[in-house]
Amino acid sequence: MILLMAWRNIWRNKRRSIITISSIFCAVFFAVFARSFQIGVYNKMIENMVGMYTGYLQIHQDGFWEEQSIDNSFVLDAELLDLITRSENIGNFNERLESFALTASGNLTKGAIVMGVDLNKEDQLMKLNSKMTAGEFPTDSSDAILLSEGLAQYYNLTVGDSLILLGQGYHGASANGIFPIQGIVKLPVPNLNDRMIFMPILAAQKLYDATDRLTSLVLQIDKPSSLSKTKNSLLKKMNLEKYELLDWKSLLPELVQTIQADSAGGIIILGILYMIITLGILGTLLMMTAERMYEFGILVSIGMRKRKLILTLLIESIMMGLLGIILGVIGVSPVRYYFYLNPIRLQAKAAESVEAFGFEPVIPASLDMDIALNHSCLVLLIVLLCSIYPSITILRLQPVKAMKS
Amino acid sequence: MKTTIKIAWRNIWRTPLRSMIVISSIVLGIWAGIFVVAFCYGLNKQRTQSSIQNYTSHIQILHPEYDNDFESKYVLENINSLTESLEKEKGIHAYAFRSMMFGMVSSAVKSNGVQIIGINANQEKKVSNIINKLTEGSYFDTKRKNSVLIGESLAEKLNVSLKSKIVLTFQDHENNIITGAFRICGIYKTQYSKYDESHLFIQNIDLHRLIKNDGYHQVAILCSSLSEVDQTQFSLKDKLDGYIIKDWKAISPELAYADEVMETWLFLIMIIIMLALIFGIINTMLMAVFERRKELGMLMAIGMNKSKVFSLIIIETLFLSLVGAPMGMLLGFLTISITSKTGIDLSIVGDGLQSVGLSNHIYPVIAPKFYAFIGLMVFLFTLIAAIYPSKKALKLKPTEAIRTI
Repeated sequence: MILLMAWRNIWRNKRRSIITISSIFCAVFFAVFARSFQIGVYNKMIENMVGMYTGYLQIHQDGFWEEQSIDNSFVLDAELLDLITRSENIGNFNERLESFALTASGNLTKGAIVMGVDLNKEDQLMKLNSKMTAGEFPTDSSDAILLSEGLAQYYNLTVGDSLILLGQGYHGASANGIFPIQGIVKLPVPNLNDRMIFMPILAAQKLYDATDRLTSLVLQIDKPSSLSKTKNSLLKKMNLEKYELLDWKSLLPELVQTIQADSAGGIIILGILYMIITLGILGTLLMMTAERMYEFGILVSIGMRKRKLILTLLIESIMMGLLGIILGVIGVSPVRYYFYLNPIRLQAKAAESVEAFGFEPVIPASLDMDIALNHSCLVLLIVLLCSIYPSITILRLQPVKAMKS
Repeated sequence: MKTTIKIAWRNIWRTPLRSMIVISSIVLGIWAGIFVVAFCYGLNKQRTQSSIQNYTSHIQILHPEYDNDFESKYVLENINSLTESLEKEKGIHAYAFRSMMFGMVSSAVKSNGVQIIGINANQEKKVSNIINKLTEGSYFDTKRKNSVLIGESLAEKLNVSLKSKIVLTFQDHENNIITGAFRICGIYKTQYSKYDESHLFIQNIDLHRLIKNDGYHQVAILCSSLSEVDQTQFSLKDKLDGYIIKDWKAISPELAYADEVMETWLFLIMIIIMLALIFGIINTMLMAVFERRKELGMLMAIGMNKSKVFSLIIIETLFLSLVGAPMGMLLGFLTISITSKTGIDLSIVGDGLQSVGLSNHIYPVIAPKFYAFIGLMVFLFTLIAAIYPSKKALKLKPTEAIRTI
């Protein structure tokens, strides 16, 4: 009965209800819209950083991350290989042998990171080929190296020159060699660009006297959204005494920190947006109460319990709230989708700086449905809070006075 | 017209509650605009300031060749005359001579490539903030020779602690390999753990004794204020010849560009806030018109013409914004003046900033022109928002409007 009355009340005065619903619509629309951009930027950052070097998931020998030494390398066994190839959501995997070496050319020396990799697979992950500024992309069987641009500039070397590497191999073996430079890559992260050397993994294994050994296995994930599911299912099946599995959050703690720091500011701004939204909704509800004083007066005077009247009003609010929220979520979706496909581009100088870090200079919107869900709940809560005002008005209502107004 | 204005003014105060809702929307809109701008600028200012204090300083002077080719033989020439001109320069708060060496640091277990920065302890104290970033130990105040200050993440990587011994290997000005043992006297932590991992500080006296030579690669200058930088740089460039002089924007372009990225972001957020505000006001005004349709119908029935009804509602909104705008600006001003002293503690929304080494307190700053700009913008938007409800009022049919209850 009350439900029916509430429903009919809403449609009795369509115009008023539409205004209230539209203010709730706007609330959901703007809150989801604003948050989509924020989350979108973070996802873009993660995507960029992960695609740059680390990947979403890495497997190492247990203890490698704590002490990144070549002595903590491992041989990929059939059991693990089988597990990875059978896992869903894992496309390809990159074997890496990573170590440190002192490089030398002429009178100069510098410390560098040596990455033994399967170049074709790394190209899929890091788009190495497109980052080449000089030379040719080496084949896997060669022992040629790719030098990062900063290192090449430091030594003033170009394609065709050679570089001496001095390091420590597996279990203390000496690792020395002279390698021809076949190409130069420009890496977007300055820190890596100054000290990175790529070489085919076979050559690296030979250099470090670590035949068949890997320091890390980078797993390429098809759908980043179901990363935690993939991670958990792997963790259950893996031999955790022998291996460790790390996700990008552990691999890139700085990125997590940066996002957290930025997010703190974002939450404050969102809070302010919500204040404005609340006032908008409160305004319409207030007006509605004022407009319906006469009606309430009659209902109370012909014997309707105030409690029931309040309940009717609350149900009305919830109905209108839900309607507004559903419409809002539906309404914001195409807009989000549009900005997902056509992200906002940063302007000239700002774009340059972001590009310098290898990021696309864009602010995309996220399509994550959780955002819509969370903010719908929040808006509904706000609607309920705002309905306290009409409820109090009814409690205080004096029928005679109300009908006279 | 005069009568319309009078009616409008009285209408506002006839229903104080409704008017207060619209006024508070406007107040909140202006306050939010001012606050968000100030908050973002405050956040960025803090980031810039701590980067200047920890890393870049305001201005750096280098040997012209050292900028492209980081060989340690490129030391600054004519130190004495250089010092003299620095002393004479008015805008300079402090300066410090530094030696910069690329090298390797080794502990018993591991080694890592580092930038070795040789400093004059007393000079450096005034220029760099590193002394305040110590988490353990002290700042070179022992009489002991060969002390070194290293970053927390480097200490972890090398698996060393306070008072441990580490070995530094680098090339001197004649490209001879120099090796020296140093004892850790302090451990520091700045906002970038990557920086901490690759930079360590030793004293120039120790360095010069080791390489049996002296000379510096860099002068770091701190001006008395950020606004003095351009003038000082200009005047130094004028007086000093044969050096490269860079300001912080040139040393660390990403810092300068962060401002611009933020401006794009801020623009987007402001649009969202303003749109939310407009819709809030449209809805409230629309409700106000419909609530008063009997009254408006009566006015029309007794002969008030349509343009007067239209201007009546526009003028009412105008009055509301005229009352709201100064209040909003005042509230914004008060909030900023209080929070710029006390700071806003962000730890309630997560300690993200702390984790990147920044303070959790943000001190909002805003240029005075923004008050006028935001006030004007909200004022304009409110007027635009009033057009639609006023138009709706015109469509009322007097006979029907009077009959409704």
